[in-house]
Amino acid sequence: MTNSLAIEVLNLHRSFGNTKAVQGAKFDVKEGEIFSLLGPNGAGKTTTISMLSCLLHPDEGDARIMGYSIKDNPMGVKSVLGVVPQEIALYEDLSARENLTFWGKMYGLRGGALKKRVNEVLDVIDLHDRAKERVSKYSGGMKRRVNIGVALLHKPKVIYMDEPTVGIDPQSRRNILDSVVALKDQGMTVLYTTHYMEEAQELSDHIAIMDHGKMIANGTHDELVKLVGGQTRIDLTLNVEAGIVQEIWKNTDGVSQVSAENGLITVLVEDSNQALPLLFESATKHEARITSVDILEPNLEAVFLHLTGRALRD
Amino acid sequence: MISIFDIAIKDLMQLLRDFKTFMFLLLMPILFTLLFGYAFGGFGGGEGGDARLPVGFLNEDERWVSEALHDLLTDSEIIRLRENSSLSASALDLMVAEGELAAALIIPSGYGKEILSDKNARLIVIADTNTSAWKTIEAELLSITSRLDGAARTATIMDKYAGERIPFKYGFDQTLEAWQEPPISIVETTSSAVKETDDGIASLAHTSPGMMLQFAIAGLLTAASVIVTERKSRTLQRLLTTSVKRIHILLGHYLATFILIFTQFTTLILFGHFFLKINYLRVPEATFLVAFCSALCIAAIGLLIGVIAKDEEQAVSFSLIPMFVLSGLGGAWVPLEFTGETFRAIGHISPIAWAMDGFKNISVRGFGFDSVIIPAVVLTTYATVFFLLSLWRLNATEES
Ligand SMILES: Nc1ncnc2c1ncn2[C@@H]1O[C@H](COP(=O)(O)OP(=O)(O)O)[C@@H](O)[C@H]1O
Ligand SMILES: [Mg+2]
Repeated sequence: MTNSLAIEVLNLHRSFGNTKAVQGAKFDVKEGEIFSLLGPNGAGKTTTISMLSCLLHPDEGDARIMGYSIKDNPMGVKSVLGVVPQEIALYEDLSARENLTFWGKMYGLRGGALKKRVNEVLDVIDLHDRAKERVSKYSGGMKRRVNIGVALLHKPKVIYMDEPTVGIDPQSRRNILDSVVALKDQGMTVLYTTHYMEEAQELSDHIAIMDHGKMIANGTHDELVKLVGGQTRIDLTLNVEAGIVQEIWKNTDGVSQVSAENGLITVLVEDSNQALPLLFESATKHEARITSVDILEPNLEAVFLHLTGRALRD
Repeated sequence: MISIFDIAIKDLMQLLRDFKTFMFLLLMPILFTLLFGYAFGGFGGGEGGDARLPVGFLNEDERWVSEALHDLLTDSEIIRLRENSSLSASALDLMVAEGELAAALIIPSGYGKEILSDKNARLIVIADTNTSAWKTIEAELLSITSRLDGAARTATIMDKYAGERIPFKYGFDQTLEAWQEPPISIVETTSSAVKETDDGIASLAHTSPGMMLQFAIAGLLTAASVIVTERKSRTLQRLLTTSVKRIHILLGHYLATFILIFTQFTTLILFGHFFLKINYLRVPEATFLVAFCSALCIAAIGLLIGVIAKDEEQAVSFSLIPMFVLSGLGGAWVPLEFTGETFRAIGHISPIAWAMDGFKNISVRGFGFDSVIIPAVVLTTYATVFFLLSLWRLNATEES
């Protein structure tokens, strides 16, 4: 990861009639990182992506993609860009291979290089076996994978993925999330939008939270979680009465609170990785066995709730 | 630039996989041409199915011999007399020049007298003598006048020897009757615009170009739906995120639908020529030029509709209007020859009227290559205007 910026978003605004879809989007994406736009449906993620792809003109503001302004140099922007649209954008009556071949040509690939790249992409999206079937016969997950594959053909420097995992089976979802990480490993910059906080958490170097067209928070996962001031909650059960163990845990480093109810002990800690070994150690000392552990880290869901007063999936 | 061809090939691949497209574009028009042609021929007959060459006629001679010539001409299977006593020789000249008439025939006063007195009788003919229509007419005129001449001579000779017993007029009529089957038929040895004038075929000569255009203009729906489908499947938006220029995207789709419609024309022209005996290939380069320009024009109208329409339903309803208005106005249903002057003039707002003119100038009227140049230019101009409008519209609409 270098420190130069792949994407600079400078105060983008866009309305549709009275709907203010995006109001002042502002964020930077460093080269080679995965950046997530997290927000519920209607937050303005797709509108932002469309402006950054030069499909929609912003009412106000500008953005630079690898230095090219979306206003002044859309052709430059398009030349470094791969876009995975939210809606599947494929020719249903053509096969996966035919689709990839056609789109490869649109990205300027020809002949042997095109054929080689189509095969590589078919490997990445794991569809070599059924490459000859018409896309219309594919499952939702397979279509999504082809939809992504198309944007990878020309090895773009920057790739946008707009909710690529909506409504698909777990296996395809896994394949997609893995391929996003693989893209980063190859040095691509990924701008990823989602309303699944688990995905944002798993993938992203940086996350921006959007709601009602506004950016309400922006930072690394840990930075965002700190906004809630939250600590990790650990729920434990023991094979003996809590008694002394509970008292000892209260005085352990990094533990701020211990309570017990119906045999379930709840411990609040700063960092579960630091605290857990200490908790096990002291339990062993007092001949108690920990029979179950449940770590509940403060999450983006909590952050969103904290910032908006609403749950993310409303 | 090469992306234009890539897009066109992709479109054609998609269209050809759809059996319905194939049925609609090729089989249906062939069936309908046959069906309508025979229905038309069956109960229409007469004028409706008249494919004889229109020849203006002016009789300035009073002698009964000239009347006899007139009757022979009226019965001709090659020539259809257009008589209007109010028309002057110069008016006829103008009509021939404009292609409304294939030729005009004037019987000068004294013609009957000259024929009877065995002098070199002369008819006045106005025609473009370079056209093969003229060759056909000339042959027919020669055949008819030689019959008349022969009858006159025979009757004169008979009159000399049997003047008292057989009145001259009776002798003339009898001889003319006997000559009804002339020993040498010149007609069959000349290249003729209308080879056969069997009623069914004659009406097909008029319905075939109309049917062909009717179905070709239905092809604009295919053109429109190519764009609408591209938009609906979100692939148009995706294309716009690549470096391919908008004009290339549009040209690609245009090329595909053009190829489709032109192929349709070619098939129907060949079918019409070889199976229906409609003389499309009399001047093949002219017929195909008209087909080429018509396809350019129809594909461009379809493109414009596709760019304007928001969804398939709109594309269909937007297509129906030009399909009916343009083909109705343009004489695809009722040939403009059989409508009034005013309607014919208004009809030529429709590019279809020009396409009909182009095809019929070759297949029915027997004109040469020159006669399709103006229709071709008009059609190409329409095509250019419609294409530019769609480009303007695509650039003006933001895709989201
Ligand atoms: N083309 C459009 N016309 C009108 N309203 C739109 C259009 N696109 C998006 N919107 C509105 O803008 C808001 C943001 O939409 P969108 O960017 O699609 O959100 P997200 O992708 O985060 O779900 C929504 O209220 C949506 O209804
Ligand atoms: Mg969206």
